[in-house]
Amino acid sequence: MKIELTVNGVARILEVEPEERLLDVLRERLHLTGTKEGCGEGECGACTVIMDGKTVNSCMVLAAQADGHAVTTIEGLGNRGSLHPVQKAFLEEGAVQCGFCTPGMVLSAKALLDRSPHPGKEQIAVAMSGNLCRCTGYDKILRAVERAAGEVKE
Amino acid sequence: MNGTVGGTVGGTVGGRVLREDAWGKVLGQAAFPADVRREGQIYAVAVRSPHAHARIRGLKLDEARKAEGVVAVLTSADVPHNGHGVLYRDQPVLVQDHVRMAGDPVVLVGAETLAEARTAAGLVEVDYEVLPGLFDPEEAMKEGVPALHPEIHGSTNIVYHLPVCKGNVAKGWAEAEVTVERDYQTQMLDHAFLQPEAVLAYVDERGHLVVEVATQYAHYDRGEIAHALGLKFNQVRVKTVSVGGAFGGREDISLQIMAALMAWRTLRPVKMENTREESFHSHSKRHPMRMHYKTGATRAGKLTVLEARIVGDAGAYASWSPNILRKAAIHATGPYEIPNVRVDAYAVLTNNPYTGAMRGFGAAQPVLAYESQMDLLARELGLSPMELRLRNICRVGSETATGQVLTGSVGMEECLKAVKSYLGEVSAR
Amino acid sequence: MYYVRPETVAEVLEAGEKPGMLYLAGGTDLILKLRRQEVQARGLVDLQAVAELRRIRVEGDRLEIGAMVSFADLLNNDQVATEARALWLACRSMGAPQIRNQATLGGNLANCSPAADSLPALLVLQAQVRLLSHSGETLVPLAELLERTPLWPSGTLLAGFRLPLTGGASGFAKLGRRQALAIARLSAAVALREENGRASGVRLAFGAAGKRAFLSADLAEKLNGLVLDGGFTEVACREARKVISRALGERASAPYKREAVAGVVREALASVEFMKSGEGA
Ligand SMILES: Cc1cc2nc3c(=O)[nH]c(=O)nc-3n(C[C@H](O)[C@H](O)[C@H](O)COP(=O)(O)OP(=O)(O)OC[C@H]3O[C@@H](n4cnc5c(N)ncnc54)[C@H](O)[C@@H]3O)c2cc1C
Ligand code: FES
Ligand code: FES
Repeated sequence: MKIELTVNGVARILEVEPEERLLDVLRERLHLTGTKEGCGEGECGACTVIMDGKTVNSCMVLAAQADGHAVTTIEGLGNRGSLHPVQKAFLEEGAVQCGFCTPGMVLSAKALLDRSPHPGKEQIAVAMSGNLCRCTGYDKILRAVERAAGEVKE
Repeated sequence: MNGTVGGTVGGTVGGRVLREDAWGKVLGQAAFPADVRREGQIYAVAVRSPHAHARIRGLKLDEARKAEGVVAVLTSADVPHNGHGVLYRDQPVLVQDHVRMAGDPVVLVGAETLAEARTAAGLVEVDYEVLPGLFDPEEAMKEGVPALHPEIHGSTNIVYHLPVCKGNVAKGWAEAEVTVERDYQTQMLDHAFLQPEAVLAYVDERGHLVVEVATQYAHYDRGEIAHALGLKFNQVRVKTVSVGGAFGGREDISLQIMAALMAWRTLRPVKMENTREESFHSHSKRHPMRMHYKTGATRAGKLTVLEARIVGDAGAYASWSPNILRKAAIHATGPYEIPNVRVDAYAVLTNNPYTGAMRGFGAAQPVLAYESQMDLLARELGLSPMELRLRNICRVGSETATGQVLTGSVGMEECLKAVKSYLGEVSAR
Repeated sequence: MYYVRPETVAEVLEAGEKPGMLYLAGGTDLILKLRRQEVQARGLVDLQAVAELRRIRVEGDRLEIGAMVSFADLLNNDQVATEARALWLACRSMGAPQIRNQATLGGNLANCSPAADSLPALLVLQAQVRLLSHSGETLVPLAELLERTPLWPSGTLLAGFRLPLTGGASGFAKLGRRQALAIARLSAAVALREENGRASGVRLAFGAAGKRAFLSADLAEKLNGLVLDGGFTEVACREARKVISRALGERASAPYKREAVAGVVREALASVEFMKSGEGA
């Protein structure tokens, strides 16, 4: 079947199978491998992308469901020349270890800050609660989000 | 580079340094093995045993071989030297006839797409004769119990025994006025690193086998791949791409040899990616340990003697078990000076998932036992747990159970004093 | 398999009543089941484009919630937060942000897992369920619906939930293995009113204690009319243990849940706005 969606601001028309997941389409068809598969069951958040402003686990969304929607992946955020504030904060706080959870973490944080630029600690903890990290112990990740919140301009 | 992101903050020593690799990771550019690809790659999927202990009576592979997109279906017969392992080569690349744990790989299917490989893997029929399993290491170590690896580990399931003896235990008991004796048990754990195992293997333009993998142990992987495939070291190249967490769980071989074998046989680039479930089946676990501890002390709160028996469940393959149980034995007394000690540590093969390296490497489990013993002794003696510890901790000049005299860097006392104020209520208990 | 995304209820029913078709809401249950081949489908009817299924609104003395309303939508709705507190609390404890953004209330009932978080809350809020099929619309009390297996004939569309706005207070608590992404080991929802210092209109429901969430009539009877003082919570906890014992029988989890239920009920009661002040708990 044919689907039309916007990925990182670019309109895409793709031929997909109805059972294909958005995750597979991003990784295998568009080669956007920054979106990771950690569990394939909605538990880990490594596959988090932003769809129409809301985070979703792309392993739990059919590509067909994303037809007509706008998707942002980690590749759509910043680059070496201009990092997104969340990316910058993750770098500076040392919130990155193995890095496998990082793209999902960054996107969950971005979605939060887009919605509420000055979140409290509790709000940050809730917003990040769908993303598992096995390396860092979360502390620096939460601090990175706080740091980014301080730097995000309204 | 982004001018606003600082480099080193502070001096060279003690300064804060930005991780070089973090750039690629925050940008989503860092390549983990599932992210690398090569033109013309095929996908391989392992058919794994659902049984913990079984004999394989036969394989039916025709349907799988005929299935759409299938490139090759490989079995143990295709593996020149069918064994790997960090200490003993007791783990088969593909099981020939003896399944020793649930998740043992038996058949390897390669196909044009992942979906085709999975479908074809589902068509493989393995005829298992299910055998009674050995799941209790205490049982498995008894005499007369069938040995799981007679060829490699002999007629016993005990792959390792380390006795640690110091002083004179009988004397220690004679001096002891208070005794605490208890059994402790820790559970099996999975590292659950976030990135499931994946490999890309291919034969390059020089005819060398290249294996791109997230591993803790690239040179070892190279040796095992070369050995299993009957190649020279210089024909195999292992490239470590980004490693998505490991914690000890990527020290053994998981998919490396299977992917390499498929690439070598088909001359196609081969991708293997574990699902989370397959990942649980294909790497080691933390050793569950059963620990019997008997500790004696004087009324004055000085430890006089410790006897301990530690049994670690090695699961189906040895992996690092000897080293891990060695470490458990050496650390069995904890940071306490005890003049008379007898520790016996065993690693025992069973049909449980195999166990290996995981953060602490055998030193973590005995903590539960020796610290609980201290708390119980303190209660018996009417001392605060803190006080009992202060009377027995290792200091500079102390001798450990293995006879090492500590000459420096023994921070236990300082550490206890530093945390004391936070523990006020607990230690008063 | 094929995929359709109709825009009206009529088109949905036409597509959904064909054999082998399944409704697709958020997909957080269904996609996994399809991948694990636990269910087969000839085609999927995606409900996302039917605007009327996505609405939350007050109509007279009742709150209408469409089946396609997501847990995140419910959480962001002030009406739900105040008028259907138990449901709001259940939503807050459900899954994680990504799951709440996608998962729907309708899917939670249709999937009907023993641990479905919304169901105990909907039960104590006296939800009625709107079902649509080619033969028309029916309105069934949730408590009654939960006694049917299957819940409804295939092809039936769950259109939404109707909650009477009684002005009563409600609460919810869930025991999970951790704070986020935890399937309930046990959950409890409660609704009640205070009349002259005594409890009235008490309803208590449990989740993850047996095959489906259920209301306990026994418990309601025992608690109605009791003075709302410190003793009330104690009676509720004690009686809840009996209810859970009976519901779980010889199940392996029974000894644990029998103990745990007291804590869950205590917490559920404490989450009720007027009980917070300390008179109850
Ligand atoms: C990581 C994770 C965590 C979770 N945590 C929780 C939790 O904490 N608590 C909890 O209760 N659940 C939890 N769930 C389960 C799941 O998210 C919920 O049950 C959710 O409400 C299902 O809704 P959905 O919209 O995704 O349904 P879908 O998956 O789209 O559908 C589920 C079933 O309902 C049918 N259906 C859906 N809508 C209708 C309709 N309108 N009419 C008729 N049939 C319909 C579908 O055909 C399908 O059979 C979790 C799931 C995941 C993956
Ligand atoms: S891979 Fe999607 S949530 Fe883990
Ligand atoms: S940094 Fe490794 S999982 Fe988070």
